[in-house]
Amino acid sequence: MKSTRAMRMFVSVLGAASLVATACAPSTTAPGATPAQAETPVAGGRVIEGTASDAQRLNPATSNDNVSSLVSGKIYDSLVNVDPKTGDPIPWLGKWTVSSDGLTYSWTIEAKANWSDGKPIIADDFLTRVKSQLRSKVTPNKSTFNDVVGAQDYQAGKATSVSGIKIDPADPKKFSVTFTKVFCPALLSVFGSAPLPTHIFGKYTVDSDVTKNLDDAPEINAPPVASGPFKFKEWRKGDQIILSRNDTYFLGAPLLDEYVLKVVADSTVGAAQLKTGELTVYSIQPGDVADLSKQDSLKVYRWQNPGYTYIGWRQQSPTATFLNDKRVRQALAYGINMKDVLQAVYFGEGTQVFSHHAPVSWAAATGLNPYAYDKAKAESLLKDAGYAKGADGFFAKDGKTLGFTIVTNQGNKTRETFLQAAAEQYKQLGVKINPKLEAFEALVPKLTGGSPEIESVIIGWQIGAEADAYTLWHSSAIPTPEKGGNNFVFFKNARVDQLLDIGRGPDCSKDARKKAYQEFNQILNEEQPYNFGISNNVLLATAANIRGIDPGSFSPTGEWNIHKWWIKK
Amino acid sequence: MIRRLLYAIPTLLGISVIVFMLTRLSPGDPVRLFTFGSVTITEDDIRQLRAFYGLDQPLPVQYVNWMLGVLRGDFGMSLQYHKPALGLLLERLPATLQLALAALLLQLLIGVPLGVYAALKRGSWVDNAIRLFGVVGHAVPTFWIGLLAIILFAVTLRVLPSQGLLTVGKDQSDIIDRLRHIILPAFVLALAGIANYSRYLRTETLDVIAQDFVRTAHAKGLRNRTVVFTHALRNALIPMVTALGGLLAVLVSGSLIVEQIFTWPGAGQFTYAAARVKDYPVIMAGVMLGSTLLVVSYLIRDVLYAVVDPRIKAR
Repeated sequence: MKSTRAMRMFVSVLGAASLVATACAPSTTAPGATPAQAETPVAGGRVIEGTASDAQRLNPATSNDNVSSLVSGKIYDSLVNVDPKTGDPIPWLGKWTVSSDGLTYSWTIEAKANWSDGKPIIADDFLTRVKSQLRSKVTPNKSTFNDVVGAQDYQAGKATSVSGIKIDPADPKKFSVTFTKVFCPALLSVFGSAPLPTHIFGKYTVDSDVTKNLDDAPEINAPPVASGPFKFKEWRKGDQIILSRNDTYFLGAPLLDEYVLKVVADSTVGAAQLKTGELTVYSIQPGDVADLSKQDSLKVYRWQNPGYTYIGWRQQSPTATFLNDKRVRQALAYGINMKDVLQAVYFGEGTQVFSHHAPVSWAAATGLNPYAYDKAKAESLLKDAGYAKGADGFFAKDGKTLGFTIVTNQGNKTRETFLQAAAEQYKQLGVKINPKLEAFEALVPKLTGGSPEIESVIIGWQIGAEADAYTLWHSSAIPTPEKGGNNFVFFKNARVDQLLDIGRGPDCSKDARKKAYQEFNQILNEEQPYNFGISNNVLLATAANIRGIDPGSFSPTGEWNIHKWWIKK
Repeated sequence: MIRRLLYAIPTLLGISVIVFMLTRLSPGDPVRLFTFGSVTITEDDIRQLRAFYGLDQPLPVQYVNWMLGVLRGDFGMSLQYHKPALGLLLERLPATLQLALAALLLQLLIGVPLGVYAALKRGSWVDNAIRLFGVVGHAVPTFWIGLLAIILFAVTLRVLPSQGLLTVGKDQSDIIDRLRHIILPAFVLALAGIANYSRYLRTETLDVIAQDFVRTAHAKGLRNRTVVFTHALRNALIPMVTALGGLLAVLVSGSLIVEQIFTWPGAGQFTYAAARVKDYPVIMAGVMLGSTLLVVSYLIRDVLYAVVDPRIKAR
């Protein structure tokens, strides 16, 4: 039961959670995939997807977890989406233009976009989302709209409206949003926030009363109307959530009658249920691919994912001070055969990553040092750093053996095996690793709280279409006892700070950002704050008769076009 | 009897203090877990969330606040679901009770006859087989048997569903479908009990059969069947009645693992999931609910002892 849960444990940091269900990019499908063009799509049927845990709250304003987003993302569509090929923002429920100073976005919502009860989706509905989220006491995304003019005053109750959001009095589908500063990721994070139906949720947030919010609204967990491809039908708590076709969907009614999300205890059981047909869509483990590919009734899709699993070296560790030395970190890069790890741990289902942006990302740099396995080079780097190999086979300096702890989260089989493989390989090199497992819920606060206990860690980042990497790599994200942070390897580089700032604006053109991020990636590749490790393939097994699946790197679920999926009879 | 009831109160209080402190002192922070991955969250937001859930207070204050809430029937808001923890748990309790009762029935219906039959055929290969089953059934881990059962019945033979309460698309009131779903988890949950009962009943029956009144019954020419069922079995079953008391609690706690394997949406699975994300109010409500069931069922057992055997007085 642990390994599926472990899949969820990828930390989702970059890329708006609300876009999880709707983003996509190029893909490799299973060999023998039949082209769908030859067949005529027919309506009817349902897909049953397996998930490791139940959803929490079916409302994007108050929830953050992947499972809730998986469901609410099908009920509520966003104004902007992500291009499946490039990861670029594309118009969805709305179209936008940006003012020349980059501060104001003007939006027009699609004329034919309606809620499932026939009411038009209007600018007010976006405002309702913003207001609901600002006043919610329980949302994990309190600060999404911080850079919108007037948002913080509204949140604090100092204003009864969000002054930066102006609705066109002549056209209820038109509005503009003004920001206090240019912030390139805002396009996805702010406008990726799906509008909420004002006629349902509007009454819960009261402009003049900060104590009123939508946190307890009964409609949160039983949404009466939808803007996305599916409508809410039933939630059998702890067992299944049933959604039904939204016939008024602005891109045309979906072909599937129903989408069902079913809780499955464990990846072993999930794989078994695929075989029995109790599940028809399920994200599987690399170890199950060989077996499930043999089944005629199933088809396995695989595609690259922009996230990665890495070994983070903590610079400025009070105990493993040597990790502050770039030569040691580079030696640790040369001294591990990642190709072997990829085979042994991921069954070859993945690609090596050499810097923060994985090869599928538009921000990736080319010509990076792959640190191909080279034991001699690793040894010579360690010697340069003042280490000599002792009689016990381990490197040492000043009588102290070169050794440290690598920790990873317990229960994640893949990472546990990764850790074993790394410890074994570093032992061959002459570095003594103390492998340690810790429960995820205990490990996370230690990492983000900057606990001095951490020397190095194997963990992963889940990354979306937005390339902004500020909260991982900027020196201001280094955790301190007062404030947490995700730069828990304590990486500090003035040029990287600059480049990350450039990536956030004011020039939001792709070229300008790409240039900055490429240099950023080159510096990381040279500095090796992480061994960037491996980007595993997303492995989605489905019933072979489901057609229209067109997965990609920026659609972690592969379901961005679920309204076009159909079932061959 | 009243004194026994009064004993239950400090017991439950003690459990609540220990569990409260254990959950809070074990490493991990629910707010950080819950907000992990939020792009824009600030430290100030985290502080506000902590304050909202009262997690910024000193532990003793948190405990007293929690206790005062409990006295009003309020176990606090679940951090994951933002719903009252007790209500969420009670929503799941019927599923747990269904499973526990089904397992209890199976234990009695299978375990008792097996034990009696083994005793009557003492020394035969049937007896040996039942005794072997008694040891093995008790010793094998539930999760292992559960997975084996899924692989055999759901995947290889495809005769039974492996997970959940209902087939997708079936109506809640479809009794046949519900029964089909409960068979595997109920059997797996009942297995250890069946094994125990068969051993227990075998011993009891052997004891009783050796007694004088049974020999007398035989001597006065009663048919073998009458002797076994009206005389021997009735006496052998008396101690069994008392065992029933503690059983409910054992089943409810044992169902935690079984619910997890079969994704049975009961209170045990729910509490387990809450423990993984440190949803304190749900953990507390779940543990207190389980402990109360345990304490109450021991009370019932003590009462039954006195009823069945007047020599024991419930004091």
